[in-house]
Amino acid sequence: MHEIAIADAVIEQVQGEVRRAGASGQVTRVALVVGRLSGVNPDSLRFALDLLAKGTMLESARIEIVGQNAFCRCAACGDRAEIDDLEARCRQCGSSDVAIEGGRDLLLESIELEEC
Amino acid sequence: MKIVAAKKILKANDQLAAENRASFDAAGVFAVNLVGSPGCGKTTLLEALFGQAGLAGRLAPAVIEGDIAGSIDAQRMDAIGVPVVQINTEGACHLDASMIAAAASDLLGEEGARGRGLGTGDRGPGARDQGLGIGNEERGATPMAGSSSLAPSPQPLAPSPSSPATRLLVIENVGNLVCTAGFDLGERLRIVVLSVSEGDDKLVKYPAIFQSSHALVVTKIDLLPHTNFRVQRVADDMKRLAPAAPVFQVSALRGEGIPALADWLLHRAAAR
Repeated sequence: MHEIAIADAVIEQVQGEVRRAGASGQVTRVALVVGRLSGVNPDSLRFALDLLAKGTMLESARIEIVGQNAFCRCAACGDRAEIDDLEARCRQCGSSDVAIEGGRDLLLESIELEEC
Repeated sequence: MKIVAAKKILKANDQLAAENRASFDAAGVFAVNLVGSPGCGKTTLLEALFGQAGLAGRLAPAVIEGDIAGSIDAQRMDAIGVPVVQINTEGACHLDASMIAAAASDLLGEEGARGRGLGTGDRGPGARDQGLGIGNEERGATPMAGSSSLAPSPQPLAPSPSSPATRLLVIENVGNLVCTAGFDLGERLRIVVLSVSEGDDKLVKYPAIFQSSHALVVTKIDLLPHTNFRVQRVADDMKRLAPAAPVFQVSALRGEGIPALADWLLHRAAAR
């Protein structure tokens, strides 16, 4: 979806975290978690970050994106299966009494920087 | 050095949205985020609800219109006497909570929007423009120029202490079934609109927006005889994605189904 807006938020948040830590310098690595159900495409996010990072402290940062799996847990038969999209029906027994677990997060995990 | 953040991206938006929600609650404002693709009939639905169904007389509505460009929708609200602020996102595919904070402060008055007190909204046009400009120069939120309904409001949205009536604020989002799903605006209700002409497969293709909505309104049902749209399929898919969300079928042009939706909105606003 709106990966440009997400990238913009990532850059602002990284800058804020660095400021809050009382640090400065160039960011060398940013670790992100992108849930499989978050609607964010990791490749598009990387592309947007490349574009927007120019001239910021993230300019030469390596962006690492880790996926976060999603599961569908069935209240009827107890099955828990990994899913790739929002499906709210149990694959085992067909019940729609299911809960989706995980896969929705968009997280800024950690930042590494070379202080000047 | 390594900084462990482990924080949500878009936390800034979520925080602002929470502030909006608190402000709306404090001012007795019931906010609805109306989403759907371009041309699905969001504005026509509002015209039917406020006009024919008489919601305007019962909930004193105000509208924030989000569009990439232009003020066509705002003009339509203005024409039926509903206070409106137009936000032009200038390319952005969705509204975010900061845009709403700026636009709502214009509609509700600074005090009402911040929930500090129950504002009178009695500010001159100059103050309004200024208020809108804050932090929003690039997004170009503009009130309807010269609109009489935006002059110091005869019906201020923020209620006076003696009239605790709930006011309805409808935020008509940018036409988009994808990006709008990710941005909480501070609404109490998210209503997704799907028109018959878009086809009955949209819930499967864009599940996030439907799953995060509190109601689905199927519009243009007068076109059903001319299409292969299956209302039952849509209802089944919605039950799977959002089991608690009601599905309304309406034709805003003919007025079919509009009273039921208006009643439900009144009920939800009252139960706030």
